[in-house]
Amino acid sequence: MPSRRRTLLKVIILGDSGVGKTSLMNQYVNKKFSNQYKATIGADFLTKEVQFEDRLFTLQIWDTAGQERFQSLGVAFYRGADCCVLVYDVNSMKSFDNLNNWREEFLIQASPSDPDNFPFVVLGNKIDVDGGNSRVVSEKKARAWCASKGNIPYFETSAKEGINVEEAFQCIAKNALKSGEEEEIYLPDTIDVGNSSQPRSSGCEC
Amino acid sequence: MMLSGDEDEEKWLAEGIAGVQHNAFYMHRALDSNNLREALKYSAQMLSELRTSKLSPHKYYELYMRAFDELRKLEMFFKDESRHGVSIIDLYELVQHAGNILPRLYLLCTVGSVYIKSKEAPAKEVLKDLVEMCRGVQHPIRGLFLRSYLAQVSRDKLPDIGSEYERDAETVMDAVEFVLQNFTEMNKLWVRMQHQGPGRVREKREKERNELRDLVGKNLHVLSQIEGVDLEMYKENVLPRVLEQVVNCKDELAQYYLMDCIIQVFPDEYHLQTLETLLGACPQLQPTVDIKTVLSRLMDRLSNYAVSSADVLPEFLQVEAFAKLSNAIGKVIDAQVDMPIVGAISLYVSLLTFTLRVHPDRLDYVDQVLGACVKKLSSAPKLEDSRATKQVVALLSAPLDKYNDILTALTLSNYPRVMDHLDDGTNKVMAMVIIQSIMKNSTCISTAEKVEVLFELIKGLIKDLDGAAQDELDEEDFKEEQNSVARLIHMLYNDDSEEMLKIICTVRKHIMTGGPKRLPFTVPPLVFSALRLVRQLQNQDGDVAGEEEPATPKKIFQLLNQTIETLLYVPSPEMALRLYLQCAEAANDCDLEPVAYEFFTQAFMLYEEEIADSKAQVTAIHLIIGTLQRISVFGIENRDTLTHKATGYSARLLKKPDQCRAVYACSHLFWVDDQDGIKDGERVLLCLKRALRIANAAQQMANVARGSSGPVVLFVEILNKYLYFFEKGNTQITASAIQSLIELITSEMQSESTTLDPAANAFFASTKRYIEFQKKKGGAMGEKYDPINV
Repeated sequence: MPSRRRTLLKVIILGDSGVGKTSLMNQYVNKKFSNQYKATIGADFLTKEVQFEDRLFTLQIWDTAGQERFQSLGVAFYRGADCCVLVYDVNSMKSFDNLNNWREEFLIQASPSDPDNFPFVVLGNKIDVDGGNSRVVSEKKARAWCASKGNIPYFETSAKEGINVEEAFQCIAKNALKSGEEEEIYLPDTIDVGNSSQPRSSGCEC
Repeated sequence: MMLSGDEDEEKWLAEGIAGVQHNAFYMHRALDSNNLREALKYSAQMLSELRTSKLSPHKYYELYMRAFDELRKLEMFFKDESRHGVSIIDLYELVQHAGNILPRLYLLCTVGSVYIKSKEAPAKEVLKDLVEMCRGVQHPIRGLFLRSYLAQVSRDKLPDIGSEYERDAETVMDAVEFVLQNFTEMNKLWVRMQHQGPGRVREKREKERNELRDLVGKNLHVLSQIEGVDLEMYKENVLPRVLEQVVNCKDELAQYYLMDCIIQVFPDEYHLQTLETLLGACPQLQPTVDIKTVLSRLMDRLSNYAVSSADVLPEFLQVEAFAKLSNAIGKVIDAQVDMPIVGAISLYVSLLTFTLRVHPDRLDYVDQVLGACVKKLSSAPKLEDSRATKQVVALLSAPLDKYNDILTALTLSNYPRVMDHLDDGTNKVMAMVIIQSIMKNSTCISTAEKVEVLFELIKGLIKDLDGAAQDELDEEDFKEEQNSVARLIHMLYNDDSEEMLKIICTVRKHIMTGGPKRLPFTVPPLVFSALRLVRQLQNQDGDVAGEEEPATPKKIFQLLNQTIETLLYVPSPEMALRLYLQCAEAANDCDLEPVAYEFFTQAFMLYEEEIADSKAQVTAIHLIIGTLQRISVFGIENRDTLTHKATGYSARLLKKPDQCRAVYACSHLFWVDDQDGIKDGERVLLCLKRALRIANAAQQMANVARGSSGPVVLFVEILNKYLYFFEKGNTQITASAIQSLIELITSEMQSESTTLDPAANAFFASTKRYIEFQKKKGGAMGEKYDPINV
């Protein structure tokens, strides 16, 4: 069976509450930014068409709740991700320290076929705040961490000013495409032609 | 049909996934061959797997996500009319032929999203149609997921401001209507769930409902992301309608969760401008709703917002945020009669934290919060709930931490009133917190009035409170507490002597109530604090005119006399004796002979009547001699009386060596080495001779008793006294007397019965070296020493 040409790329954005996950997605997809903090509930995606090597892809970008109490249904949506974006706030050491937890949690829950080579991208966001004076995580430190985790690509971004957002998502798309994650190929035991199987159903008729 | 266990559930999930995969396979084949009819057939069969009732929300979500991913491929196929050749309008009709309603509606939503994207129909109408149609599924879990699918696929197609779907006839209001309707329907499904199934599975059902909550809450997130929802629309439309739904559903779980969602998903400035509406809903919620957590989170958010930028502060003032919050909290507490006291106090802690962060300059607000807390506390019996007392400690510590300054807290009239409601143990903990704050910040408390308030606050440490269980006191803790009080007394200070005297009187009044266990800790610092004032006054020239009762040393000494006297009843006579002597010396410096004499008299009486232990006597007599020696104020008569007594006591000590040392020490009472000092060489010599006689007697006693020598070192010590007075020019002390003393010691040391005393030998040797040194030095001193041979 010929492998299907992949046209949909699934990307998950993770990180602590308030680091700017929703803002990065909104800046990239809608070119909009709001300074107001609004928590995200559950998981939710926006799509964007991207051109890459003369082909058109749909990037499905999943924004997630940073606050655990707004993730009541679990993380079944991790499944089938082609790339995971880890975001922290360069003005918050805690959000940087937690990157490791987010990465490990993702690998456990999404269980990709080749965890060592699964594509991650790290974004250090909010570089615009206070002209960079309130920054507590240095670029060097962030890059060192990325290097230690198998050379994760790293970008310093500002969702507010739109700095590096386009570049970061270009890289995210490229890595998602290169990802070794193949769709599960399902082969039915028997191929019935014509006669449709009766759907197994239970409960009411709805 | 209940689940019999996780294993079964896993099995059902696996079956469901297999069903999805199987049908997806045929759907893919149909898509590859652009066969619309087959694609619809297999996708409907695939979606039929979502009709199961056997899965918990978590597992159902897994299954849903599988189908969801497959539907994205179908959606892309739908979009490409060239592949299936059917117009989108016809497609929208066509999918409605699916047999079962659930697959039909999933397909309809999928086509609907393509329909809107095609712009062949107004978004508003398609959305309206879809949200109405979804009413067809009334099973809670299936309905919630279906509607959440609708919310997701319509997410980027809402007619928002600046969106491509915004047209003349379509406004943001249509988007809001759509989301609100979906939200309302979902909330109904979610709330209704609790009434389904038998009562015995209630717990499990609550758990499932909890898992499903984000599906409902997500609608609020979508609302908050609609750019066109400006403050005006939020205030007039969105918030009142969401709150109406929240209040009317009368469901504890939903109310708590949705209030939290509203607070978290909408921006701070919206909350500030709609505080009245938002807070107005709180007392209408079910009495079991954990409203304190909800309000705490709101106040946390708002105070973070307030400190984020100085520009927003005027907003808080303009909307009177504090008054509104305070009012709302009061109403909630009144409305929820059954709220445990800890809940009420935590609410006040949150409000106080908010106040301190947002309005640090408004002490009246702080006091108001404390006042409200007092009111609540006084309506209940004394606090016993340990969680509640912890909250009260947090409440009282917050202003101290914020201002780093107890003085601010002292101005809060309700502060002590809150403390009155603490149990004794907590009262002490709080008192320690207060003292530590003062010490840490080196706060000087400078008026008697403040001291009064302060001691009222820490009274748990100052005296035994009613019914305090004495036997439970831990000795270590008690000492630490009292030492803290002692340190505190030194932080109470004013340069102005009148005020300082008032402070001292205030402190005295309080510590006198402390009882015998505390006085030995608290009287000494008070005495020294008063003596500091005395020394300050003594340096001032003349009295301050015009004052009614000027602070004079005389008056202070009178006060001290009475204060120290209390130690006699403790009893702690040794401490009292030391303090009397300190006072005597201070009185000497103030030139107050009768006062100094009085203190000495007190000290002597104590020595005679109260100090019985021989070691204590030795210590005391040396203290007396030392003090008396430095005192210059006494006239001949008084001085004679006192020195006579001192030498008398010395000679009556229990042990000979002690007698000897005390007596030779007395020699200094007759020879004060300054310009006007007494210089009675004859009596010096008498003392030293008397000391020698006692040393001899000690020697003989030792011989008789143990067949060994007594302490030769006494002779060496006396020799050193001889040398001192010799050098100071006491003509009674002659070179020949020294010479014979040296010989006496030499022979004593060589005598057979003398046991070896290396320390005494060394002492004697270095004394002799000193004499040699002085001889060789030449000059007047060398000449003086010349006759002495060593």
